[in-house]
Parts: sequence; C-alpha cells; structure tokens
Amino acid sequence: MKSGIQQKTLQGIFYILVFFLLREWLYPVMELTDTSHISIFLAFIAICLVFSYFSVPWWLSGPGKLVYVAWILIIVYTNEVFFTREAISFLFGDLVINMAALFNRDWLLVTDSFRTVLFLSLLWMTAYLIHHWITVRLNIFLFFFMTVIFIGALDTFSPYAGDGAILRVMILGLLLSGLLKVAQIFELNQISPSERKYGFLIVPLVLLVAVSGSIGYLLPKAGPIWADPVPYIQTFAKSSSTGPGSSGGIGKIGYGEDDSELGGAFLSDPTVVFEVMVQTPQYWKIETKDTYTSKGWEQSVASNEIQNYTVGDVLDTGIKVGPEEDQDIAIYSFELRYPFLMYPYGSVAANADEGTTFSISNNTQKIETYQQNDVVELAEYSISFSEPKFSLTALRATTPESLEQLSPEFDRYLQLPESLPERVSELARTITADEESLYNKARAIERYFPQNGFVYDQSNVAVPEGDQDYVDQFLFETNRGYCDNFSTSMVVMLRTLGIPSRWVKGFAEGEEMRADNGDKMFQITNNNAHSWVEAYFPGVGWMPFEPTIGFSGAGNIDFDLELNTPDVPVEPPAPEKPEKPEVTDTPVNKSISERLTETIQKFGSWIADNRGLIIWWSLVAIAIIAVLFRVRQKWLPKLLVPYYRLHKEDWRTFEKSYHRLLKQLALYGIERREGQTLQSYADYVDKFFGSQDMKKLTNAYERGFYGKNNDSLEWLKLREIWENLINRTSS
Amino acid sequence: MKNQEKILAIINNIERVIIGKRDIAELCVVALVAQGHVLLEDVPGVGKTMMVRALAKSVGAQFKRIQFTPDLLPSDVIGVSIYNPKDMEFQFRPGPIMGNIVLADEINRTSPKTQSALLEGMEEATVTIDGVTMNIPKPFFVMATQNPIEHEGTYPLPEAQLDRFLIKLRMGYPSQAEEVEVLNRSQSTTVIDLDAVISLEDLIALQNEAKEIVVDDTIKNYIVDLANRTRKDSYIYLGVSPRGSLALMKASQALAMLRGRDFVTPDDIQYLAPYVFSHRMMLRSEARYEGITTQEIVERILAKTNVPIKRLVKQ
Repeated sequence: MKSGIQQKTLQGIFYILVFFLLREWLYPVMELTDTSHISIFLAFIAICLVFSYFSVPWWLSGPGKLVYVAWILIIVYTNEVFFTREAISFLFGDLVINMAALFNRDWLLVTDSFRTVLFLSLLWMTAYLIHHWITVRLNIFLFFFMTVIFIGALDTFSPYAGDGAILRVMILGLLLSGLLKVAQIFELNQISPSERKYGFLIVPLVLLVAVSGSIGYLLPKAGPIWADPVPYIQTFAKSSSTGPGSSGGIGKIGYGEDDSELGGAFLSDPTVVFEVMVQTPQYWKIETKDTYTSKGWEQSVASNEIQNYTVGDVLDTGIKVGPEEDQDIAIYSFELRYPFLMYPYGSVAANADEGTTFSISNNTQKIETYQQNDVVELAEYSISFSEPKFSLTALRATTPESLEQLSPEFDRYLQLPESLPERVSELARTITADEESLYNKARAIERYFPQNGFVYDQSNVAVPEGDQDYVDQFLFETNRGYCDNFSTSMVVMLRTLGIPSRWVKGFAEGEEMRADNGDKMFQITNNNAHSWVEAYFPGVGWMPFEPTIGFSGAGNIDFDLELNTPDVPVEPPAPEKPEKPEVTDTPVNKSISERLTETIQKFGSWIADNRGLIIWWSLVAIAIIAVLFRVRQKWLPKLLVPYYRLHKEDWRTFEKSYHRLLKQLALYGIERREGQTLQSYADYVDKFFGSQDMKKLTNAYERGFYGKNNDSLEWLKLREIWENLINRTSS
Repeated sequence: MKNQEKILAIINNIERVIIGKRDIAELCVVALVAQGHVLLEDVPGVGKTMMVRALAKSVGAQFKRIQFTPDLLPSDVIGVSIYNPKDMEFQFRPGPIMGNIVLADEINRTSPKTQSALLEGMEEATVTIDGVTMNIPKPFFVMATQNPIEHEGTYPLPEAQLDRFLIKLRMGYPSQAEEVEVLNRSQSTTVIDLDAVISLEDLIALQNEAKEIVVDDTIKNYIVDLANRTRKDSYIYLGVSPRGSLALMKASQALAMLRGRDFVTPDDIQYLAPYVFSHRMMLRSEARYEGITTQEIVERILAKTNVPIKRLVKQ
C-alpha cells in the first residue's frame, strides 16, 4: 500500500514539474503575442494535467475541459461571469460565425475567441502528449530538449529575454528526466513496487541537480560570440515611420501619430490618400513636432493656444504668405479621410461645407476640422494659398547674434536631449564654420547629406538600441535612411547651433496625373508620406528645408540680390518642377531590384572566380561523404541506438530494428546467405560473438513474424539485447 | 501434457528399442501426426519393422503387417466378402489394411495391381469391396518399405503412387558403437516390453491440433517457390506437384509442433523438404548418368531460394 502511494506521489511530482515546464512555453508566447489572461491558460493546463493524473475517464474529462473552455470565452469576451442566457447565446453566435468563416475559407473572418479556442486545443493536445510521455514512455527528453531550443531561439531571435527561463527549464528538465529515469529503471528491471527504494536514487539526483545548477548559475559566463540579431530582424519586422510618422504595429508607410520611436524598414503602400487639383506641386503639411527624445519625436504641451476659423476666414498658420497675385487654389478630394487639413505653404483660407470650423493649434500647427463641435473627417475641401517667397537678401542678413533676442516661446524649438552625443554638435559646427548667415548655415547642413555619401534607403534602416541616439547613429554609423533620418538630423543640428527649428510631417507633392483645362491633378498616396524641416530666422520667419536626398521641396527663394554682387551663390532655380513625384517610392523599387541583380551578379562572379576552388571542395566533400559511407558500419550504431529509442516499443519498431541489425551485421562482415534461415544465421552470429543474444532476438522475431504472435514479447529487454548486439558491430 | 511432450514421449519410447535413429523416429512421428504415410527404402535388417512396431506400441495402436510377395492379391490386402452358407449372406472379412498402423513390407515386390489397392486405401482412408465403401479406422498410418530399386525382382512404384507417401526415408546402417549397443540391448529390452505412452485419442487430438499450427503467407509462398523451382530445374523431368507442396506444409506443421512452436518457420521447411520432395521428382536421364540424385537437387534449390524474412507488401 505504501509503495503504491509512493509511486503515485512520484507521478504527482512529474506532473508538477511538467506544469512548470509548460509554463515556460506559455510565458514567451503570451509576451510576444500580446496575449493577456495568462492565469486562465495556466489553469487550463493545470486542469488537463490533473485530469490525466487522476486518470479521469475521457467521457468525464473531455466535457469538463470543454465547459472550462466555454467559461473562459465567456469571461474574456463578454461581460458575464456565469453561463447566463446572454453568454450562451454569445457562444452559439460565435460558433455560427466561425463555422461559416471556416467553410467559406475566410480565414480573416474568424474571431479572436475562436483563436483562443484553437490555442486552448493546442494546449490540450500538448498536455495529452506529455501525459503519454511521462506515463507510458517514461521519457521526457524530447520535450525537454525542445523547450531548451525554444527558449534559446526566442531569446536569440526575439525581444524575449530568456535568462531566468533557461535556468528554470534546465533545472526542471534535469529533475524530471532524472526522476523518469529512476522510474524507468524500476520498471525495466521489474522490481516489485514494495522493494523500490526511491530515496536511494532520488536524493542524490536532487542534490546533484541542485549543486550543478547553482554552480552553473554562479560561474561567470562568456559573452555572446555574435552580435544580437534582434535589431536586424526588427528592422525588417518592426514598423517604421516616414514622413508624418510611423503608423505603429505594421511596417507600412503612411501617416501615423506616434513618432516616439523612429527607425526600421517599412513596406511601400500605394494606397491613395487624396487627389488635389493645383497648378504647381506643393508639400502638404499636417503638423510639426518640437521635442526630440533621442529616439524620436514627441510633442510638448508648452502652449495650448487654439485659434478657430470658419469657412473663408483668413488663416494664420504662422508661415509667411506669398504675394496676392500668385494665389492659387488647391481643391482636394480624399480617399482616406482625416480630421485635419493637409495644407500647402502660404495657406490663406480654407473652404468646405458650411458650418465647418478649422482650429489651428499653435502647438503643432495642425488644423483640425470640426462641425458643430464634433471632429469631422472632410472628404472634400479647398484651400487658397500663395507660396511664400523668401528674400535672399533678408536671408543672408540673418546673423547668429540676432538669435540672442529670441523670445522664450522659441525655447521648445531649441530643446535637445541631454544624452545627445557631443559629436553631433561638433559636426554641426564643422559643417557651418565657413558660413556667416543663419540661412547659409542651414543650407550647409541641408547640403551636407548628399555631398557626404549618405544613402537614401527604406529597407536597411537601423533602430537605435539602448542608449544609442537616433541622430547620432544615422550621422556617424549607418549613413543611410529615409526622410525621418535626414529631417530629424537636420533639426537636431540646427538646434545645436541655436537656430530654432521643428520637425514637419505631411505629404510630398505626389504624382502628377492629368492636366485638363490647365489644372493639374496630383495624386498623393501613402508612399508620399514625408517629413521635412522648418527653421526660424529672426526677421524672416519660419522657412521649410528639405535635407532628404532625392527630394526638392524647399521654400522659394526670391533672388532679389543685386546682380553685380560677385559672390551670389548660384542657387538652383526653386523647385518649380520637382523631379518626378515618384521619387518617394522609387528608392524602394530601385534598391530591391538593384540589390537582387547585384547579388546575382556578385554570386555569378564569385563562382567564376572560385571555380577551381569550388570543384576542389566539392571533390573533397564527395570524398568525405564516400569515406563516411564506407565506414558507416563504425558510426551508424551510434545513431541507430538513440533513433530507435525514440520509437514506441512495439512490434513495428522491433521488426525494423531487427532488419537494421541484419544489415549492420552484413556490413560488419557476417552476412546471411541467400538460402539461410534466420535460426541458422543466428547460431552463426552467436557463435561469432560468443553470446546468445541473436538467438533470443531471432526467436522473438520469428514468433512475431511467422507466428503473428507478438503479445508477450518484452520490448524493453529485447531493445537492450538489440542495443548490445548492434554496439558490438561498430567495434 | 503438452503436445510437444506427448510427441517427445513417443520418440523417446521408440529410442528405447531403436538405437541411434532419433531423426528417423522423429520423421516417422511427424508423418504420423501429419496424417501421412512413410516410405522406407532400405536393405532388409536395419530395423524397419522394429521401428514401426515400436511406434504402434507407443501410441497403443493396432499393428498389422503385410508382407508383399509377387503373388499377393488385392483382396489379401483390403479384405474379402465370403459367402456364409449359415446366414445365407456375404460376410466381410477385413484385410490387414484395416488396422491403425500398417507395415507394408517390401511393397515393390508385388504386382502393380496389389500395390495400387494398398495405395488407394492409403490416400482415401477407405476401401471399396463389392461396391460397399468402408472407412479404415483412424488413426491410419502406413509405413511401407521397399528394397532399393536396383534390386532384382521388383516392380518399381509408379510416380503417381510415390506421391501418396508424405515422406520417404532411408534408415541406413547403424554406426559401429550403435550396432554394438543394438547387440547389447537385444539381450534385454524387446519391443514387446514397450508400453503405450499416449492413447489413440491423444494421437487423434494431436493430428487435429497440428492442423492449427500457423503457417504464415510468406512460408506458404516459400513452399510454392521451392516446388516451382523443382519444376523448372534443368535436371528434372517431372517436378513436385501441388500435392507435394501441400504435403510439405502439413509435415512442417507437425514438425513445428514437435519443436514446441505454434508456427512454422523456414527451418522446418528446409529440414523436411528433402524428405518430402525427393521421391516426387523424376530426373532426366542425363542427370541419372551423371549420378545426381533428386536429394541433391532439393538441397541445391534450398540453398539458392531466398528465405522469407521480411514482408514485402505492407499489410
């Protein structure tokens, strides 16, 4: 009786250890998939294991688990707590929806609750499998091994940190494997339950695991041999932002609110945002941001002034407006709708449905649209504007000294993180050292990028890790990126020089579509999402700058200098006709196709250059394989023994392993003649090895094969004999 | 007692009077259990009669002996109806074939007519006299002996009739030591002293259970494979008939029982094939000139035929 209890206790310990091992699987899954309610899933595993432990019959445990699953769904997805009428109707409704989705193969339509059910069924199956392992096979190695691999892989390739997990897994796994081995030893040697001395084996086992575990924990560990691949993977996987900011979550280009973490690759997205009828290509501004965090942009709440305008009012966007005679009207029609305007520089007035209010935030220059105090997403509106022209004379007259009289409200446009590396401001000073005016300093920074080997790239863009600064990383390490990198770097450098500047989000010109009756139509897609720079010069005001390579949208310069001035910087004419509007997405296509052909070419030339080497190494490889094949008799048993151990102990495995043994014996040089029976061959083999093993195996095999009777064969014993024999053949 | 023990008891009993011929005794018992008959071909005086008498005694069977002579008539073997003037009707006098264990001595000395009378009875286990068919009591076991064919004054048995014998054996002379032992024993034990070790009912039960011994499909294929090869052999004029295949299977079942197994293995087949197949084959004349025997050909076929150790088609 006592021994029975002992055995059951041991089994209980197995289940507890398995529970904790499974928990280690669940944690990272939960963390990485943003799944909550971990306790519910843990409880489910516990229920499965408890049912298994008490060998609850399937007709009881199955419905029990199903009820629990249903209850989970109710708790998580409805407001009910018990099986009320509403809860049950929810369950049935959900079932119908998901079944319909499944039959129609609309995989995207299945609901979250159904995914939860699927996940729970997976847990159910896992629990069953483990139950089988620990009660029938008495071997958990495979699962243990998989767990270690799983944690290791997640730790390496995902943000999940498995430091503690791997330690727990190792200790739990070793304990469990050891205890199972103890059980297996008793089972294999058919020691009667009353004679089993568990303590005798278990105490040293536990001590050993504890001692080795703590020594392993305390010993110093070598650092990783290779760099952490996570940032690299993240650049592909993680969302990125461009222009008006990242959309968070999906790595697609487009307008988003959150710019707090810039960097990383993104996918192009040709979704049309709006079409606009306008004479000249314009940058479409949405908002500005003022606070650089060393990772991205945030908005301070310094001033919260809001100015409200109604339809037709003259807007004050804080930007200079051009001469009245140059006024133009941009007529928008939107595919995607936003509750704010996308306005050109020099906006004068906005027109939309009667009763629309435009409220400009002094904070961000964002113009939000309201109707009857409710935020409204306009589909159509028009804005009259006149592009500002900046007098070159005035610009050249801007001096660093004038900055000293700036009012404190500009402080937020001079903000910089304390952690900003010194070399960023050093670089800004170096670039601008030869320039006198603020404008020229800004131009110098703007031109710095194309002249110093910076590359426009949307895919291989790093994300700053740890203490790394986004701008510092771009300027000094990667030198490649897209508009966010260029514009942010320029703003930061301007600020180090004391020039107030801010980061602007919006859309670039877009693609010119058609021109009827003199009007030009521009189509703006998500690919045109963009970010650029505005700098403030005392006496001039806010002026846009475009540091991003491949874009040309800076403010218009009025060349009002006297022509005899010899040192007129020959500015390229203002971007009346910017390069093809596709500039925004061409870099992606170009870089992908280019890189592909490049890679193929490189590979081809590499093969051509190393043809002799390749042939030589191929020959060596073939020779090694041939030699390995020739001497397979030596190493094959080493693989075969563990291989067959993984298999279920049944006739099929025994049959296979017996034939494998025959092959191995033939390799060893003891071959069965064609007309030789297994018995006489077994006699021959046994005589050769001086044992009785082959006879035993053969008797068992013949009984199973010719007699079709394999009920009473003792698989474990046979396997032992088999292993013994096959190991001899490799010596 | 288990089946194997019963069979071993018979063999051990026989060994008490026959010295050094355990294999022959075994084969005889195998034939008995497989409900077949044995043809012993050997010179006189090597203990053929002794063997069959011991066998009969061991199973408590009725023993009959027929000495075949050139002038023996079929009725001398199967019996005759005699008119009984007292009852005014024909009365059947059973011949010596109506026994459990019959020794047909020097079967090739008699005329083919008488031979066929015996052989018909052997195959059908019935005799027909004056249109009346009578069953021969079970178990029925004939051990026929014949002198080597080369001897003069013999009528060789036709092939079709040789086919009726399950096994053909040669006893051979005993070795020096065995023969001395024969002389020693003759002073003490005689066949008369032997007791039955099993009953006739036991024997019948054994015969029935032997049929239950498992013969795997691969083994059946192996048997047919062997038979087929005898038919195709270049030295063979006439190969083993399907009856021969059947005989080999039956005999192997009995041998498996003797070996204590409930299934037939290729070893059983290989052991029995020479005894079961040899007398069912006819050599071409060139083979006979070369001095090749059917026995050798069977051995050769056995060595060349692949033993089934693997199921080729997954079930």
